[in-house]
Amino acid sequence: MAPKAPKAPKAQPKAPDPPEEYPTISAKLQAEYLASRPYQVLKDTKGLSNLSASEKAAYANYRFLETGVWKTWGAAQQKEFLKTVETQKIPTPLPLPRDLGRDNKGREIASYTPEGFAQFRKKERQLSGLRRESARFRERREKARRKQKGRGIEDSEGEIEDERNRRKFIGVLQGKKMGIYEGDPRWDDVVPIPQDDGEGALAAIAYSDEYAEAMGYLRAVMAAKEHSPRVLDLTEHIISMNAAHYTVWLYRASTLFALEYPIDKELSWVNEVALENQKNYQIWHHRQLLIDTLYPTISSDPTAIHALETSERDFMTQMFDQDAKNYHVWSYRQYLVRKLNLFNTTELQSIEVLLRSDVRNNSAWSHRFFVVFSDPAYCTPGSAATAHDPRIPADIADREIGFAKAATFEAPQNQSPWNYIRGVLRKAGRELASLEAFAEEFVKLPSESGEGEDVRSSHALDFLADVWAEKDETAKADTALRLLGDKYDRIRRNYWEWRRGLLDAGVEGKMKGLSVEDVS
Amino acid sequence: MSLVSGPGRAASSALPDEIQLAIEPHVKYIQSLDSRRNELEYWLTEHLRLSGLYWGLTALHLLGRPDALSRDETIEFILSCQNENGGFGAAPGHDAHLLSTLSAVQVLATVDALDELDERGKGDKEGGGKLAVGKYIANLQNRETGTFAGDEWGEEDTRFLYASLNALSLLLLLHLVNVNKAVDYVVSCANFDGGYGVSPGAESHSGQIFACLAALNIAGRIDLVNVDKLGRWLSERQVDGGGLNGRPEKLEDVCYSWWVASSLTMIGKLHWIDGGKLTEFILKCQDTKQGGIADRPGDMVDVFHTHFGIAGLSLLGYPGLEEVDAVYCMPKKVIERVLGPNK
Repeated sequence: MAPKAPKAPKAQPKAPDPPEEYPTISAKLQAEYLASRPYQVLKDTKGLSNLSASEKAAYANYRFLETGVWKTWGAAQQKEFLKTVETQKIPTPLPLPRDLGRDNKGREIASYTPEGFAQFRKKERQLSGLRRESARFRERREKARRKQKGRGIEDSEGEIEDERNRRKFIGVLQGKKMGIYEGDPRWDDVVPIPQDDGEGALAAIAYSDEYAEAMGYLRAVMAAKEHSPRVLDLTEHIISMNAAHYTVWLYRASTLFALEYPIDKELSWVNEVALENQKNYQIWHHRQLLIDTLYPTISSDPTAIHALETSERDFMTQMFDQDAKNYHVWSYRQYLVRKLNLFNTTELQSIEVLLRSDVRNNSAWSHRFFVVFSDPAYCTPGSAATAHDPRIPADIADREIGFAKAATFEAPQNQSPWNYIRGVLRKAGRELASLEAFAEEFVKLPSESGEGEDVRSSHALDFLADVWAEKDETAKADTALRLLGDKYDRIRRNYWEWRRGLLDAGVEGKMKGLSVEDVS
Repeated sequence: MSLVSGPGRAASSALPDEIQLAIEPHVKYIQSLDSRRNELEYWLTEHLRLSGLYWGLTALHLLGRPDALSRDETIEFILSCQNENGGFGAAPGHDAHLLSTLSAVQVLATVDALDELDERGKGDKEGGGKLAVGKYIANLQNRETGTFAGDEWGEEDTRFLYASLNALSLLLLLHLVNVNKAVDYVVSCANFDGGYGVSPGAESHSGQIFACLAALNIAGRIDLVNVDKLGRWLSERQVDGGGLNGRPEKLEDVCYSWWVASSLTMIGKLHWIDGGKLTEFILKCQDTKQGGIADRPGDMVDVFHTHFGIAGLSLLGYPGLEEVDAVYCMPKKVIERVLGPNK
């Protein structure tokens, strides 16, 4: 039997005022929880024995309500009970607030303000709506793809655009930008393969999100051996972030060839990348693969060859504007000279332009030697760079010596033309002594009293030391070498002393090896 | 192992006369490299990871600290980079490339674990074990010209030729390739100035000269070199500051301390340059506090220059360092263990 209803409502404890402000949603929920069991609070604060009779009766009814034991009673008794509860104004006890968990930034949701929590709930509802729509879109596309066996899915651009926007919106609501590929419906059929460096998943956190995502899609398309236009977009994107990743270049090349993509279009794209990545060498191998593919299609068309020659030279000029000694560009240039047979005056003039702007550019000197002394028009095929070639015409040798001489007058201490002169003499089979008078324009040895010394080029002095040794003028050669070791090139003193030693031992003849005779 | 540059920076101001090699900071620097995974640069250099391990590990051995990296983890990482074709990629999941394959073989040789290839190596279709690695390399030789490509895509470079002979000789599998043709190819790369380039006719470059000389050395044909002419060109690489450059009229750089000095060593002419001045230059490129060596004083340090700087100092006989082998750029002890004392 239920206890009698109390007469006065004064027994009822005061519930907290509803408009009170709570700092967090968890405080609010906790307050609501306590507000829904006022007699429990009353009993906890006053103690059971201190409650009035009516309070005790209300507390007992609250306990019946809380435990649910009243549901086991007979129907009449239940009815009476509920009536009493109503008159006693005992509120229905709320369940204990559940743990709200954390949001995607790791923050405790319990710590939100009540307003913040309301917004969060609203966003969650919006998100789940968008996700449902997005899932329907994917399902529909997947079905279409299966029907078409993976090829050409018909979908209006409008629908794709809608979906793209939907995903952008999802990203905004999540407070976490969606990946470029994750947000692009055209990539839905690809499941990215995440980085696995064999040392745990920790590493993945550190990766730049954009790079990591793109690499995940690249691994997936490579695993599926997919060669499609979108692979060109993907590889371009990765190369823009990391041009040194050579696997990306190789996969791009194989995709280009599979698609029979226009080579000229690719070349102009590669130009931009190369200009932005001076130190990268993958680009140059890629370029060679492109030219190797293009060349057979134009080899019988002189106009097309000439156009390619011009555009390639223009591009290399741009590269040299940034770094005229870029080894990759020069190696590529030699490849191109051989491939397109560019042993011509335009090529030589182009080198002269570079040497005019920097006469110390050893790369340009080296290239000039290659072009002049490998020209199939007059060179012995396969003649080594270090070997005498009897077929070199005298006027060519004269021209090259004249060219190098002029450069030594411009910068006497520049080693490149001095090396070049030795190389030309060797090719043409001429003696060093044939240029003694020229070298002496830079050198005046001191008289016996030590006066009148004037050396404007240590290279000229070195050259003359060889000339004089060649002519058995040992004393002069010795003076030259001593000056080099003591004064003009002290850092290599041991080298010059070694040369002097050869003079003493009378084996200076062997020194001709430096200039004229080669071992190989 | 990372190639991430920094965080240290080489000193740029005047240094005390008695500058020393900062061994402990360099050891710590190399040990710390793999913990820099929270930097994007770490991931952008993934394509060099295996070579990075070789550089770091070799430097530690030369510093007399062979146990500073875990041997087991080193072996596990190397094996995880192997492809089914027998070759090694730069990192797990990367396509095989000759340069990373060389680094893998060098690292395994250094930690005395080449036999792990026979026990756990991939490439069963190629006969498995060391043989699979050897066959991968041998397949990259251009049988017409004798030179080598870096991978199946065919880019050729005298560095690849050297890498092949180096790795094959350490595996005792040189017979898998045509060594004579490779030698002919190197000879065809000799230039009018006495140097060698990346291919016939290409400009002489100290790095390529090292590769060509070391290849000839492995093939036992150093007699084909015009020693006096090449030594003259190489010794001209020293600039007034003591450092060495890679080509005429270029800036000096610590890595050429290795390529030029090792080349001079191979032809017996290291004394033609000023070793004291070169030592001083390398020491000036150190970050003596945080460790690491840069290309030039004042620049950011990285493991590549740290390795070549220390290897250069070892060649120059810097006290307290393990002796380095000029041909293999590995501790001499290791080469003697693998190839015998009279290699």
